Amino acid sequence: MSDAALRLTDVRIHDAVGDRDIVHGVSFELTPGKVVGIVGESGSGKTLTCRAVLGILPRHFSVTGGTIELAGRDTSGLTQREWTGLRGTTVGAVFQDPASYLNPSIRIGAQLAEVVRVKKGLTRREARRRALDLLSSVRLREPDLVYRQYPHELSGGMLQRVLIAAAIAADPQLLIADEATTALDVTVQAEILDLLTELRERTGMALIVVSHDLAVVAQLCDEVLVMRDGIVVEQGPTARVLYDPRHDYTRLLIAEHEQYGLDRFRDAAEPALSKELDHVG
Amino acid sequence: MSGAGLGTARLRRAAARTASVAARSIAIFVPVFLVATFVTFALRSLSGLSPAHLQLGESATPESLARIEHEWGLDRPFLTQYLDWFGKVLSGDLGTSWYNGADISRLLTEGAVISLSVAGLALLIGVVFGFGFGILAALRRTTWVDRVITGAMTFISVMPSFVVGIALVAVFAVSLDWLPSAGWVPAERGFGLWLAHITLPAIALSFDTVSDVARQLRAGLVAAYRENYVTGALVRGLGPRRIFFRHVLRNGIGPALTVLGLKFPNLLGGAVVTEAVFGMPGFGQFAAASAQRGDVPAVQGVLVVSIVLVVVFNLLVNLILARLTPASARGV
Repeated sequence: MSDAALRLTDVRIHDAVGDRDIVHGVSFELTPGKVVGIVGESGSGKTLTCRAVLGILPRHFSVTGGTIELAGRDTSGLTQREWTGLRGTTVGAVFQDPASYLNPSIRIGAQLAEVVRVKKGLTRREARRRALDLLSSVRLREPDLVYRQYPHELSGGMLQRVLIAAAIAADPQLLIADEATTALDVTVQAEILDLLTELRERTGMALIVVSHDLAVVAQLCDEVLVMRDGIVVEQGPTARVLYDPRHDYTRLLIAEHEQYGLDRFRDAAEPALSKELDHVG
Repeated sequence: MSGAGLGTARLRRAAARTASVAARSIAIFVPVFLVATFVTFALRSLSGLSPAHLQLGESATPESLARIEHEWGLDRPFLTQYLDWFGKVLSGDLGTSWYNGADISRLLTEGAVISLSVAGLALLIGVVFGFGFGILAALRRTTWVDRVITGAMTFISVMPSFVVGIALVAVFAVSLDWLPSAGWVPAERGFGLWLAHITLPAIALSFDTVSDVARQLRAGLVAAYRENYVTGALVRGLGPRRIFFRHVLRNGIGPALTVLGLKFPNLLGGAVVTEAVFGMPGFGQFAAASAQRGDVPAVQGVLVVSIVLVVVFNLLVNLILARLTPASARGV
């Protein structure tokens, strides 16, 4: 019935402490190889939506309406053990501030090898080779060196590459990039976005890109959701939303961006953008 | 071929790391030992005590006083005495007692076996129960289990060991008659008998350690659970047990281990009181009796042994910490 990697139908997220809905009905579908972008300011519910997809909503938050289907499977009744099985292999994620998402006491290589050993049942030796492959596949220049370094020895851009490598280590069908480039400087951001595009093309995985930055979304996404206060105010193909915004809030976002040169992104074709960014940076 | 090359390279790195850690440990140990032993030795001159007072009492004439001090070599220059004493300490000779002329090293070894038995068991109890309660409270954080444990730990932390000791004797020795109320039996005369005699004092001594380790570990683990790397491990699809042992425990254990290092001197010091309550001729009793008699070489011996034990134990804790959380060793 569905070959969708992810299907959200009217998802509502409730906060039990404040006793109110934080996210009011998000729906979208993501087929393999496609990219959906979610834009909105902080507190708009975009991160909570992603966390619901990953099954890691904070305490007191719960999905109270609608359905989330991961690879055709309704996630509402999943046990902790089933979630553990799905994460990594079906859905992976990278976040802002990559350094904090790696264990500071364990070498990079061991953390990557751990994932493939647990999720793919590889032996120590195989896991080591696979971890080195992953490090080169995210275009880290010296995989052997990075393999035995600790997180505090790497730069932010390198760490985000490592985090991406860990997220795709078990070949998920869906990768969520929640503000994954926000804290990085512009040239590094462009490189990471390039990398995500390349991985998507190579592996055919679907991608959710969450950002408060329209430029990032414009560069990568087939479809865009604009969220505000937990409501999807505008949703549609990227080109349509950017050229013909129907909601005031979207227009506001675009207007704000025009001052910083968003038209460059509106006019250019997707992959060429990073090169232009390089010129600017 | 390249695999073998990588292997030897890794071995060489590991060896270099171990060597640098060992060198740093020695660099800490040596100055601490030198300064502490010097201060210890200077105690005699500062105290003005002399073996003559001990042996002759009030009837001492200046001539007999000088004669006895000469016999003990105390009329030599200070530095000569110090170097002589320090050289002997290095070879394990702590001198002879002013009080009865006995070999202090031998007396101390006898006492230390008793005290270290009690302190060692107390440490074991502290580690097992401290870690057990701390982990349980952290895993069940904010539930009633956590509250009960935290409350109980706060309660036992304020109970002095001599009160606990007396209460334990009243219950387990007098009322229930399960364990002996006092005394000491060497392990050679039966492991069970030995254990029976040190159990109550060790429990009395361990309360403080149990509560401090449990509370520090709980706090460390709860803080570690809030860290993003736990979320990171979760979204990579790692199971809860693996996340606890490999990611949370490893990073949250630091404060508890540090406290354990600080507690060890307390266990030795606390032995003075506990040994009095339980009538054990240990290290603490020996130290107290020697100090009261003004038996300076014996007190110095006690201090030297304590310094070595405490410094070595803290170095061990630091080594374990550096191994567990390499980032914590930065800038040391």
